[in-house]
Amino acid sequence: MACFERASPALKEILLRLYRDERTIDVDHHLHEFGSVEYYIQSTVSDPDRTYLSISTPILSQAFLISTRLSRYTMEKVKAISADVLEIMEPPKEGYQLTLRLNFARMPHESIKTITDIAAVQGVILSSQLEEMLMNVNSQDVAQGMYKPIKLVYHPREPFYVIKQPQKITAVFPMRFKEKTDVIIATAFFQELMDVANSKACAKAPHCIWSPIPPPELRGEAIEDLSTNGGFVSFDITSRHIEGKRLDKTVWNLLNFYAFVKNHVKSTRGFIQRRMRTCLKSLVEVLQKTGLQDDQQIKKVKGYKRMKKLVNFSKSKIFRYRSDFTSKLKRIRSRLKIHGFGHFRRKWLSFPNFSSKTKYRKLEKDTSPQHN
Amino acid sequence: MANSLRLYLTCIRNTLEAAMCLQNFPCQEVERHNKPEVELKTSPELLLNPVLICRNEAERCLIETSINSLRISLKVKQSDELENILTKKFLRFLSMRAEAFQVLRRKPVQGYDISFLITNYHCEEMQKQKLIDFIVQFMEDIDKEISELKLSVNTRGRLVATEFLKQFI
Repeated sequence: MACFERASPALKEILLRLYRDERTIDVDHHLHEFGSVEYYIQSTVSDPDRTYLSISTPILSQAFLISTRLSRYTMEKVKAISADVLEIMEPPKEGYQLTLRLNFARMPHESIKTITDIAAVQGVILSSQLEEMLMNVNSQDVAQGMYKPIKLVYHPREPFYVIKQPQKITAVFPMRFKEKTDVIIATAFFQELMDVANSKACAKAPHCIWSPIPPPELRGEAIEDLSTNGGFVSFDITSRHIEGKRLDKTVWNLLNFYAFVKNHVKSTRGFIQRRMRTCLKSLVEVLQKTGLQDDQQIKKVKGYKRMKKLVNFSKSKIFRYRSDFTSKLKRIRSRLKIHGFGHFRRKWLSFPNFSSKTKYRKLEKDTSPQHN
Repeated sequence: MANSLRLYLTCIRNTLEAAMCLQNFPCQEVERHNKPEVELKTSPELLLNPVLICRNEAERCLIETSINSLRISLKVKQSDELENILTKKFLRFLSMRAEAFQVLRRKPVQGYDISFLITNYHCEEMQKQKLIDFIVQFMEDIDKEISELKLSVNTRGRLVATEFLKQFI
């Protein structure tokens, strides 16, 4: 499985930590990526300079598989990452295709760059396999005037085909998506891709064709591989695209095409969602202005000049006014006071106290000393 | 604004102005209930004739009126698959947030993309003229937003395609 970044971020972080930190315990890491790539990192306290990195990755095409081990070309490519630091172990650890012995003591000055390159070892293995295929395909594959397509599987649901023809190599990607929305966004993208590829600005770029039906080159392939909902995207790669350093770039772009399209679809969906949210806000604002209360409030504010004055008052003034106001209110609401009326009310207008028969009268304790 | 769109919107505005004379009217079937008659349709005497305004085959507006409520259903144009998916996505997004709009119906009437339900209570709380303005602006904004979204999606696609192909050069 390919990723935009060649270096595995998790592997890079672990290797950097092993390189920088002083180890007090043995390190034994198992790391899984994309469900099918596995890394095993091993380092001991007794030998801190040496770290063992084992990798298990799916083989790109079964057609070129001689044994479970990697080819010499791939091994050379891996060795070329940093001949001083890494050493390929023979045989690799059981269950892994490649085991590297990393010697951090021999690390050059640009340690971060070297570690990043080592962390990208899976990308190197993957692209070197495709590079080798593109170079090794010969005329023996020609059968009845048709060139045999090579099926490359780096993810079970995302196989693609490479067909070598006399003057070009055609890479065909059957596109599958889970949702209808994704299919439509991707289809719009493929049409743009076709237009751009045929424009003058990208005249040197590979010729690109999108078709909803499988291209004739794939005739004879398994029906389940040819049933898609997003159609087929083909790139015609000529010799100029695989010359020298371009080969690596072209191979990496082809391996990343699925990831690239899926990322575009995902980001477009996010973009649509953001636009919808903004539009929702503006529409709600329009509706909020329809309220009756808004206009009345505005009129009130305009009408009451005293309110404006009150706002300009200082805090102490407001407190003074408040205390005056409350005292006035008390005066207004208090009962009339007539001199001597209280005595008259208590004598003539008070209700007599009735004692209930059910209740008892509590006797007070006699605290005086008893005399015999 | 296109001339045909202006005429279409003016027609809807005039029809809404005429139709939006709602009053409080308790339910005749159930005591102490007050329900939008345009939804229940229990008493034909409380319903007015529905008005269908069409701009073309793909764009139309249905205005159903009753004594205490008004239902406006809109069908938005969808010329291709991308517009279709964008319209559906957008109107579903709005319908799911219907509580923010008060007058928006959670489920559109069959055959339409989005529906509004305005009751006499809404007319009491909001200004009639501004409510009509909102409906008309909503229609304008939806059209504009979907066209812009489609354009943006295609532009983004073009930019991404150019960037991808540049890597081969």
